[in-house]
Amino acid sequence: MLELAAIALVKVVILSFGLLTAAAYLVLLERRVAAWVQDRRGPNRVGIPLTSIRLFGLGQPLADGLKFIFKEEFTPSHVDRWMYTLAPISILATALAVFAVIPFGDVLTLGGERTIELVVAPGFDAGAIYVFALSSLAVYGVILGGWASNNKYSLLGGLRSSAQLIAYELPLSLGLLGVVVVTGTLRLDEVIRTQANEGIWFAFAQPLGLIVFVIASFAEAARLPFDLPEAEQELVGGYHTEYSGIRLLMYLVAEFMHMITASFLIVILFLGGWHFWGLTDAAAWGIEGEAVPLWLGVVRIVVLMAKVFVVILFFMLTRWTWPRFRFDQLMNLAWKVMLPLGIANVVMMAVVAEFEVPLTDRLGRGGVIGLTWVGTLLTLIVAALLVPLHSDNRRRSIEPDLFGTS
Amino acid sequence: MNAMQWTFVVATISGALALWMLLPRKRFRGRRLGSLLGLVSLGLFASQVPLPGGPAERTVFIVLAGVTLAAAVCTVTFRSPVYCAVWFGLTLLGVSGLFLFQGAQFLSVATVTVYAGAIVVMFLFVLMLSDPRGRTYYDRLSWEAMLSASAGAVMIGVLSMTLHRVFVPEAAPPAADANNVAVADASGASANAEATNVPALPEPPTSESLQANILAPEHVARLGGALFSRYLVTVEAAGVLLLVALVGATSIMAHARFEQLRRSRHGNG
Repeated sequence: MLELAAIALVKVVILSFGLLTAAAYLVLLERRVAAWVQDRRGPNRVGIPLTSIRLFGLGQPLADGLKFIFKEEFTPSHVDRWMYTLAPISILATALAVFAVIPFGDVLTLGGERTIELVVAPGFDAGAIYVFALSSLAVYGVILGGWASNNKYSLLGGLRSSAQLIAYELPLSLGLLGVVVVTGTLRLDEVIRTQANEGIWFAFAQPLGLIVFVIASFAEAARLPFDLPEAEQELVGGYHTEYSGIRLLMYLVAEFMHMITASFLIVILFLGGWHFWGLTDAAAWGIEGEAVPLWLGVVRIVVLMAKVFVVILFFMLTRWTWPRFRFDQLMNLAWKVMLPLGIANVVMMAVVAEFEVPLTDRLGRGGVIGLTWVGTLLTLIVAALLVPLHSDNRRRSIEPDLFGTS
Repeated sequence: MNAMQWTFVVATISGALALWMLLPRKRFRGRRLGSLLGLVSLGLFASQVPLPGGPAERTVFIVLAGVTLAAAVCTVTFRSPVYCAVWFGLTLLGVSGLFLFQGAQFLSVATVTVYAGAIVVMFLFVLMLSDPRGRTYYDRLSWEAMLSASAGAVMIGVLSMTLHRVFVPEAAPPAADANNVAVADASGASANAEATNVPALPEPPTSESLQANILAPEHVARLGGALFSRYLVTVEAAGVLLLVALVGATSIMAHARFEQLRRSRHGNG
């Protein structure tokens, strides 16, 4: 028992420090990527403190962090003090706690026989639902922050963001459900193992699920097409307009954490986790049996982290590619496009899971996947034909079109 | 009455008094006395709770249970509706922690997902309707404080007395007795004989059983198996009920808007 607790504690410490450092350096990466996209240089001056060594601007996160921490911790007089302090703490705590069930590798074999599973809570049987439970708790931080600021713009921003988070939780869970139906488990490490054993990532086996999940996780992480809280120009910001200093830092770090979580989930559920053909297969290296040697464990960690990094880069590039949605466009997309697409994906996956044996006998594995792609294309075409254009800003007739007749 | 029975009765009565004092009312509000009485009541109840396993398990259990109970009391006694909702959320987190402690992993995360998700929606409405500083009179009052406090305390008291079988071994059960004795009387046998046949209290969990529960694999599979075999009809009935509610809500909504549309057409034309 004590040993279990000690191992868990070590993992928790490594993970939380690693994540906070990663968040700091991802901010630098984001600024450099933004600069690259916009043909600028970006922050490249700050290097090692008290020297003139620049080191490509790698000291920038340190400077940013110090600036945030030593800024005056200003509390406006009109706020509700308790909730104003509690809100950023709660959102950061839930964002960190999600990582209790997210595997950051496969296993590490130490001293020949001891294996350590690289997840804080190994064998947590409802891991996927735990992720959703905590992401639904993140809404509290948003609402409370908006309410406690006692400012109508913050309150409206909080309502807007929480409505967005609640709306996009449905397609997110539908995207996950497709994977769960096929694998029959809620454990994230088992999902990876299923993909590794078959050698087919779910990105290929259920493309519609991938589309729905990625778009929904952009919205859940409040990244650019969905980043209404950042809309200072047109909406006077969002729920954190009244925040400054370390509390604002907590909100911003929590937003980065959400992006990291989303990247991990996309990689684990759809991009095969630590699996890469030929590189992480024990059989390809001529290793017999179930045991994973230490170096292979390390290779798997590296593969997983590389994939997560690529997905994060994708998040960052998307930021400079798309304009921001208007609120009604965002809601229409959630309820009229993403939800039906997600349901179509679940139905498709249920059919595949139910008739797996006869279908595979007739068509082969590739045939089943081809069928899924055909279904995906058909669904997308139907959605494109039926869903109205949301970019239309012309004034509509006042009478509501109840039955879609006009 | 023996000492155990007195403990429960006193705990119930002091709990009712404490709740009554703590509930938000117009004039007299004895917060200190109420908190003191509440602590006494909690202590009396807690002295009878069978505690689990070793010191580590005991600490975890006490902390979780204490947080849950304190948050529950705060839920009903705070004046600002937003604070009440947040305390309610904390209560649910405590309950889900207790589930997790017992090894019910799925139940614990489902509690958070379902309740916290539902509460957030309720929370939104509370938020939009409430005055941010909590100055409105309807937020500052709790209606029927006496009735609700005593109902809650009696509920807790009767439940814990029944669980502990406090009044069962008595030959002549007093009026405020637990239900199972009445059933025993109705079955024709003498209360005494039946009462001695009542199975003993379940043993409090030990460290080993807790550890085995928490580390056991296939929680969800076992739960799903139970749901879709023994409770299949219940699950299906609940599903149909939800579907009917959904259709009903949609039809009410569509009907209201249709009426509105019709009226605006005929009224103006």
